[in-house]
Amino acid sequence: MDYVPHSQIPGHKSRQTGAVSLKGIKKQFNFKDRELKVLSEFSLDVQPGEFVSIVGPSGCGKSTLLRLIAGLDDTYDGTITLDGQRVAGTSLERGLVFQDHRLFPWMTLEDNIGLALTNRNIPKDAKAKLVADHIALVGLKGFEKAFPHQLSGGMAQRAAIARSLVNEPKVLLLDEPFGALDALTRVHLQTELQRIWLAQGSTMIMITHDVEEALYLGDRVVVMQANPGRITHTVDVNLPHPRDRASPVLHKLKDEILAELTHVPEPSNPVVRLIKGDDQ
Amino acid sequence: MTLKTLNLNAFKPVWLLGLIPPVLFLLWWDHEAAKGGANALAFVSLAQVSQALADMLASGELGLSYGSSLGRALSGLLIGGGIGTLVGIAMGLSKPVEWAASPIYNSFRQVPILGWLPLIGLWFGSGDLSKLIIVALSAFYPTVLYTFEGLKQVEARLLDVGQIYRLNGWQTFWRIQWPAALPSIFTGLFQALAFTWISTIGVELLFSSGAGLGALMQQAQLQARLDIVLVCILFVGLTGFAINFLIKRLSQHVLSWRSIRA
Repeated sequence: MDYVPHSQIPGHKSRQTGAVSLKGIKKQFNFKDRELKVLSEFSLDVQPGEFVSIVGPSGCGKSTLLRLIAGLDDTYDGTITLDGQRVAGTSLERGLVFQDHRLFPWMTLEDNIGLALTNRNIPKDAKAKLVADHIALVGLKGFEKAFPHQLSGGMAQRAAIARSLVNEPKVLLLDEPFGALDALTRVHLQTELQRIWLAQGSTMIMITHDVEEALYLGDRVVVMQANPGRITHTVDVNLPHPRDRASPVLHKLKDEILAELTHVPEPSNPVVRLIKGDDQ
Repeated sequence: MTLKTLNLNAFKPVWLLGLIPPVLFLLWWDHEAAKGGANALAFVSLAQVSQALADMLASGELGLSYGSSLGRALSGLLIGGGIGTLVGIAMGLSKPVEWAASPIYNSFRQVPILGWLPLIGLWFGSGDLSKLIIVALSAFYPTVLYTFEGLKQVEARLLDVGQIYRLNGWQTFWRIQWPAALPSIFTGLFQALAFTWISTIGVELLFSSGAGLGALMQQAQLQARLDIVLVCILFVGLTGFAINFLIKRLSQHVLSWRSIRA
């Protein structure tokens, strides 16, 4: 199967904007007398419209990295740019989806999504239309007036995705967006996210623990190691979207990445390999 | 037609159970009062109490005293609770204000409300102003505390969302901090209500000039009119009960977004 660049996939609304560039990012936290290096010399270039997955063990600084790109934390060394512009503070051009949905429990679903448009200088009816369109995009039509406690975990996370997309950000950052969901809902939302990305076309950078998820969605998978957080290698996933989960290419890549992350040498015994392949 | 429409619970007269203790108590009371003799001063018959109630209603004495106490409690709640909420907001939102106000607030809070009576009495006399100050103070303390605590406990994870969508200070307060703090603010309001009513009666008993249920009780005590005292106590208790009920309803309504499961 030949690799089809995402910009040439039919239906993918490719954009000219949304190039994220990270150069020599260093970040440390200071505890009393010692400093903890969280990120060391982290550099990454993301193309407009590209989907990049970042996998790595707990504590490798993945979430910190997203907070830096989002602009929630400005204390680091190195440069982060979006379309050549240096990132300073938060911006409606950079959306963020958290692991927990973080909807406000006192607002209805449509008010929660509308909140993201508070400071957009567009007429009220245009805002209402954007909200309605994005509720439809994530498949939550009919739940506009529901409060978060009335939604299931999966529905709440869809709403959170709608909220982060309603500003049509150039880049969407996803911090383990499905990590708190049950396995079936997770698989379902991965498919949904792929559909949304194809329809919406913004650059996506997703952090995850789940190697399978990273490979299923990413054009590229960046593998990180901890202490200090750094890139150990990058895997290009040369498969067109939408993808087939059962693809042998994905499985082979998964084994490789897992082997690297767990430092267990690849099983040389073909029987072991077979068993391992079976339970995936 | 499903079973769901037949909500049997709604018909269960659970609240009737709550009537059993007072009825038993009243029966016992009337029994003791009927014995007469040494108990006559301590126990007046229920008939006497009802007669006193009827007389006080007819003369307008009860209405005047009750209205006066209720007005004092409500204005004290509005003034003390209003200022308390504003102070709590200022302390909750601004570190410098918190640092400046916390020590004095926390030391003054240790003085029981009625402990201020001698000082307030000397400064402002024993008239309505002094009473109002005491009542307002009793509403002030809990509203400051719970407004401040409520705002302090707003989770950083929610404030992150406000930052992502570039809400300004006012928007962050109004859309995130205030609603997040509301459950705590209501707890403060609950306490303020209970305290204002108690301190209203208390301050009227101690500064017994002017109108009010407390003053009426004080005068009745001097005249050994136990029946009047009992009527006053009955109204004090029932009012407290009604206030709590109303606030509970109000908070259920305003905080309906909270999960019942939580």
